[in-house]
Amino acid sequence: MNTPESRHPAELGNGRAPLLEARGLSKNYGATRALDSLDLAIAPGEVYCLLGPNGAGKTTTINLFLGFVAPTSGQAFIAGLDVSAHDRETKQRIAYIPEQVMLYRNLSGLENLEYFAALGGKGALTPGRLTDILVEAGLERSAVDQRVSEYSKGMRQKVGIAIAIAKEADALLLDEPTSGLDPQASNEFSELIERLKNRGVAVLMATHDLFRAKETGTRVGIMRYGRLVTELGTEEIGHADLERIYLKHMHD
Amino acid sequence: MKHIVRKEFTDVLRDGRFRWCSVLVGALLLVSLGHGWVQARSAQQEHAAAQATARDHWESQGEKNPHSAAHYGIYAFKPRLALSFVDEGVDPYTGTSVWLEAHRQNDFLLRPAQDATAAQRIGALTAAQVLQHLVPLLIILLTFGALAGERERGTLRQLLATGIGRRELALGKALGIAGALALLLVPAALVGAAALVVGSPGPAASPLARGVVLAGVYLAYFTAFLALSLAVSAWARSARTALVILLGVWVVNGLVAPRVAVDLSKWLHPTPSALEFARNVEREMAAGVEGIPRPDRPALTEQLLAEHGVERVEDLPVNEVGVYLQESEEFGNRIFDRNYGALWDTFERQGVVHEALAVVAPLLAVRTLSMGLAGTDVEQHRHFATAAEAYRRDLMRRMNGDLAENSRTGDTYLAGPELWEETPPLEYAAPTLGWVLGNRILSILVLGTWLVGAVLAAAARVRQAEVG
Ligand SMILES: Nc1ncnc2c1ncn2[C@@H]1O[C@H](COP(=O)(O)OP(=O)(O)O)[C@@H](O)[C@H]1O
Ligand SMILES: [Mg+2]
Repeated sequence: MNTPESRHPAELGNGRAPLLEARGLSKNYGATRALDSLDLAIAPGEVYCLLGPNGAGKTTTINLFLGFVAPTSGQAFIAGLDVSAHDRETKQRIAYIPEQVMLYRNLSGLENLEYFAALGGKGALTPGRLTDILVEAGLERSAVDQRVSEYSKGMRQKVGIAIAIAKEADALLLDEPTSGLDPQASNEFSELIERLKNRGVAVLMATHDLFRAKETGTRVGIMRYGRLVTELGTEEIGHADLERIYLKHMHD
Repeated sequence: MKHIVRKEFTDVLRDGRFRWCSVLVGALLLVSLGHGWVQARSAQQEHAAAQATARDHWESQGEKNPHSAAHYGIYAFKPRLALSFVDEGVDPYTGTSVWLEAHRQNDFLLRPAQDATAAQRIGALTAAQVLQHLVPLLIILLTFGALAGERERGTLRQLLATGIGRRELALGKALGIAGALALLLVPAALVGAAALVVGSPGPAASPLARGVVLAGVYLAYFTAFLALSLAVSAWARSARTALVILLGVWVVNGLVAPRVAVDLSKWLHPTPSALEFARNVEREMAAGVEGIPRPDRPALTEQLLAEHGVERVEDLPVNEVGVYLQESEEFGNRIFDRNYGALWDTFERQGVVHEALAVVAPLLAVRTLSMGLAGTDVEQHRHFATAAEAYRRDLMRRMNGDLAENSRTGDTYLAGPELWEETPPLEYAAPTLGWVLGNRILSILVLGTWLVGAVLAAAARVRQAEVG
């Protein structure tokens, strides 16, 4: 068996053409090397968890895939298209859920979903269908028409998931989506990710949560100081192994 | 994008604060339009009545020496153009009537328009002031958070992640806000148009064409403000910063720049006080000036006697008094032309300073254009004053001519009603739209530059807007 380091990034994972791919992707903020030559490929049906402490470069990676910042060098590809050259086409393929899903407080959950879905090109979805999506995402049916100002953080994250489901995105970019959620909400969130994975969605999820990464991820990458220091398949290891490896890299 | 437009539009309508601001501005606009219209109409009716009475008095003077009639004089009223109800311009400062009498050109112009800043005039809010000051403020309040607020709340990242472009987002927001503004501006424009069509308070000097151009001027002004607000909202770190910057722009545009324009234009092109001016005219009338000597009556008499080959004035075929009066009238006219011409020219040069300063404050361009289109600017006062003065001179020529031709020196001559009736009333034709716009090229250029510049700035800032 090949070691991960010897394979081309595109060959990693389950062997299908990657939906998310980074090649030598780097970003400097002034003197800070926020991301250093990241090579990464995530195929359909893969959940890739980026682990690392604060400041490791996880959000920077996601921002580069979103085209919100321009790379200092290297490229980010979504479905084979360079993000910096195909802003709109690449964004049409992805959905993004931040650590705090931010919604319009004076609109209901349904109205928020309606708006974001319409902007994502799904203006034709009926309120009935959108309600079903919200329920699928785990929201109580009775909460759908409530104003978002009355929602808990967990409920807002669910609207975020619903936005992603409604968009029928091929790839998902998640930036610490479960931080601050209680274990049950966090678990529900993982189940949803699992379902999307089974539909063939490629997921890139930044997280601090080793347990969640092992549960949800098919692969984990450990980052530190902007560098991807190691990459593991979650099948190959147990929870304890992951923690040990993680801590080892943190103390190097 | 229609989703953004619709959302922004409903957001504005739902937001209580903005709803009340908009209702307030809309109400002020309608009230000021109505008030202006009623006032303009009653002023016009008063003028028409006063003009008729003045003419009536003139015609029923009975038997009188023509020179007494010339002293009796007549009032002339500057007609209020149809759009003066929107913008009263310099009318309150110059007055709109002038007394035409023998030997003197009376003051028409007391104080130039630009002297008055908004704050001084807030007492009687005109539609023009609402449009020039309050609507831009409303635009700022509606727009400052457009991008800065979304960025601050964190929704901008999610919006842009949907695949919508920054420009599309900004344009959608601008259109949504414009739609909300249209809810108050379109009814006002319709009311204004109806007022023009139904009961035009003044004589027609292409009122509708002027109205359309006026609407275009304000539309350009508002669009520039909206684009500028969007540019600042895209650039600013926070919504609060955007608001502070934009309020600063509003204060400079509406309060500081007009004040600076007044002081700077007066400093560059000083005008005499009314008293100084009157004294100077008086002095020149008494002594004449270089190149314009006072008429020399003995020399004039000598010349007349020689011309007609007679020895005594009683034997002249004309009344020497009439000839002399006309000579002095013409002497006076040259003195007036000198002084009033210089004064009007100075006012116009001051106006150019205001127009040029519009480079830093588009209000100055808009104000100039607005007064011009309403027919209430300095240039159109000059236009009327010139016509009124030409009429006065013609009147005096007729009176002196009648005295000279129809009587002999030493006669006790009285002219009758035929002479008064023969004298035509003043027929004044207000200048055309082309004339008005021709005077205002600089303002049009500066306002156009603001519009294009603001839109380009918005496009550039929006493209570079940070996601946060
Ligand atoms: N906009 C920015 N300007 C300057 N430095 C930044 C910016 N964003 C991130 N950084 C720096 O880049 C590094 C990586 O940050 P980030 O990607 O946010 O880490 P993580 O998400 O893993 O916590 C950090 O040192 C951070 O301070
Ligand atoms: Mg982060």
